[in-house]
Amino acid sequence: MSVLAEKVVHRRWLRLPGSLVIGLLLLGLFLAAAAAPGWIAPYDPLAFDMSAILKPPSALHPFGTDNFGRDILSRLIWAARIDLAIAVFTTAFPVVFGTIVGAFVGYYGGWLDMLFGRVVDLVVTFPFLVIVITIVSVLGPGLLDMCIAVSVVGWVFYARLMRAEVLTQKQADYAAAGHVLGYGELRIIFRHLLPNCIGSIIVYWMTDMALGILLGSSLGYLGLGAQPPTAEWGVLVADGKNFLNTGWWISFFPGIAIVLTGLGFSLLGDGVADRLRRGR
Amino acid sequence: MAAAAPMLSVSDLRVSIDAGSGRWMLVDGVSLQVGAGEVLGLVGESGSGKSLTLRSIVRLLRPPLQVAGEVHWRGVNLLELPESRLNAIRGREIAVIFQEPMTALNPVLTVGEQIRESLRAHSGLDGPAIRKRAIELLDRVGIPAARARVDDYPHQFSGGMRQRAMIAIALAAEPKLLLADEPTTALDVTIQDQILKLILRLKAELGMSVVLVTHDLGVIAQTCDRVAVMYAGRIVEQAQVAQLLREPRHAYTRGLLDSVPLAGRARRPLRPIAGAPPAPGDRPPGCSFAPRCGYATESCRRAPPPLIEIGRAHLSACLHHARLAAEAGPS
Repeated sequence: MSVLAEKVVHRRWLRLPGSLVIGLLLLGLFLAAAAAPGWIAPYDPLAFDMSAILKPPSALHPFGTDNFGRDILSRLIWAARIDLAIAVFTTAFPVVFGTIVGAFVGYYGGWLDMLFGRVVDLVVTFPFLVIVITIVSVLGPGLLDMCIAVSVVGWVFYARLMRAEVLTQKQADYAAAGHVLGYGELRIIFRHLLPNCIGSIIVYWMTDMALGILLGSSLGYLGLGAQPPTAEWGVLVADGKNFLNTGWWISFFPGIAIVLTGLGFSLLGDGVADRLRRGR
Repeated sequence: MAAAAPMLSVSDLRVSIDAGSGRWMLVDGVSLQVGAGEVLGLVGESGSGKSLTLRSIVRLLRPPLQVAGEVHWRGVNLLELPESRLNAIRGREIAVIFQEPMTALNPVLTVGEQIRESLRAHSGLDGPAIRKRAIELLDRVGIPAARARVDDYPHQFSGGMRQRAMIAIALAAEPKLLLADEPTTALDVTIQDQILKLILRLKAELGMSVVLVTHDLGVIAQTCDRVAVMYAGRIVEQAQVAQLLREPRHAYTRGLLDSVPLAGRARRPLRPIAGAPPAPGDRPPGCSFAPRCGYATESCRRAPPPLIEIGRAHLSACLHHARLAAEAGPS
């Protein structure tokens, strides 16, 4: 009996897509770092140590130290909190707002669709980073302003995706069935159509969080995101750019962290997509 | 049948679409009546406008399709009703079931949830009573172990069970009119028979009227009281079922009957109707069936023949109905 139960559990694990498991593990690692950096990090991320300037990785400082003698590993761990927050806060508004707008546009069409089409054109014709940089330079650099800038542009992509999904789903007979059962349009949009469309939004959201981190890091690198001495991965990479010859580790490890988090979100998105497809 | 005023009365219904080069009439001046407790069949080929006719009764058609004419339901013109009042009639007095039970059920909600939603909207039931009623309904449409299946998702149901669930949802409010859009086309023959019998049984129990759209003459013969034959957007013949099957008075109906085997008729070679129905943008000026018709004469090609009463409750839009009657020999 217990052997059988074990087998079943085992099988269930096997049935989870590998990408989902790896993605979750990677993100779990960074989430743990973000949740309790004070417990995990060996040093104070901001404390200067003039006796250990530009030290290469060693047992004492596994990822080395920077030009002020700050421990890279500790800074990296503290930065996880900021970068995961960036991932969430640059995408939270776009997901919610974009989904709702997209649902209405897709459902009602007509002049609303025309208007939306022009807005999309407007946003898509400019490179994403260029608009964001423009908006940030108007609002002033900083994390909050960066989130606002990304949100102003980012919702369009969710809305576009949602519109397309609703356009196909509203043709389905269950939508017509909702009408002939005398249900109101809001109920049909939000209770019947939206849950059927939300899968691709979630998948896109996952990859978008990875992009959000990259963007946050890029802006941090350019000095438009998090401001020093706050530890943020992009800022950390930028910190090391003058020492690439003498202290490669300053930029290298934060760069790896960015890559791994991005990978984690992408794999998670992939895995979720896989699950959703199998559920159908 | 209808000696009293009909429940549903459709007059001069037109559905059209702007095709750039001109207006295509997809449904062209359809009129029909359905009496209380009556089952009206609407039969025709794909593209004959039968489903459009059915869907425009409950205003399911959206632009670019345009609907004109009148649809009177118990004295109210549904086509002019504001959306809010229409919603009070849809579902409560008029219900619709669709061809594809797979797509007509919402895949992300349980069957029970969908029945309860319909009940909540229309019956005024509440709390545990609503769940009990949902199970009752599933039981009534013949879902075995309804109590256990009520929390299943549509994909856990077979095709026939989905159609039964669809019927349960549609009938939650005990409507007075059921519009069935090819309810059995997606099902295999044995299930088809069960579903038709179910619809007839519920019709008798609830005292509903039914409009049944199908392309299957066998289904018509088995279920309907009266039948209207559609071709290229028009009704070409309308009669009591037995009458129509025995004495078709339109060349097209005759052709249809000759092209399918029907039980209880002497075996003989089947004769297909040559050619295909005209595209909506390309209809001849006269009778739409004339190009495929063996009886067609010059006058057929001049103007569309009107639908006239040629016998007791028997309408035909064929100029040669008398010839057809004379020919209708021993078959």
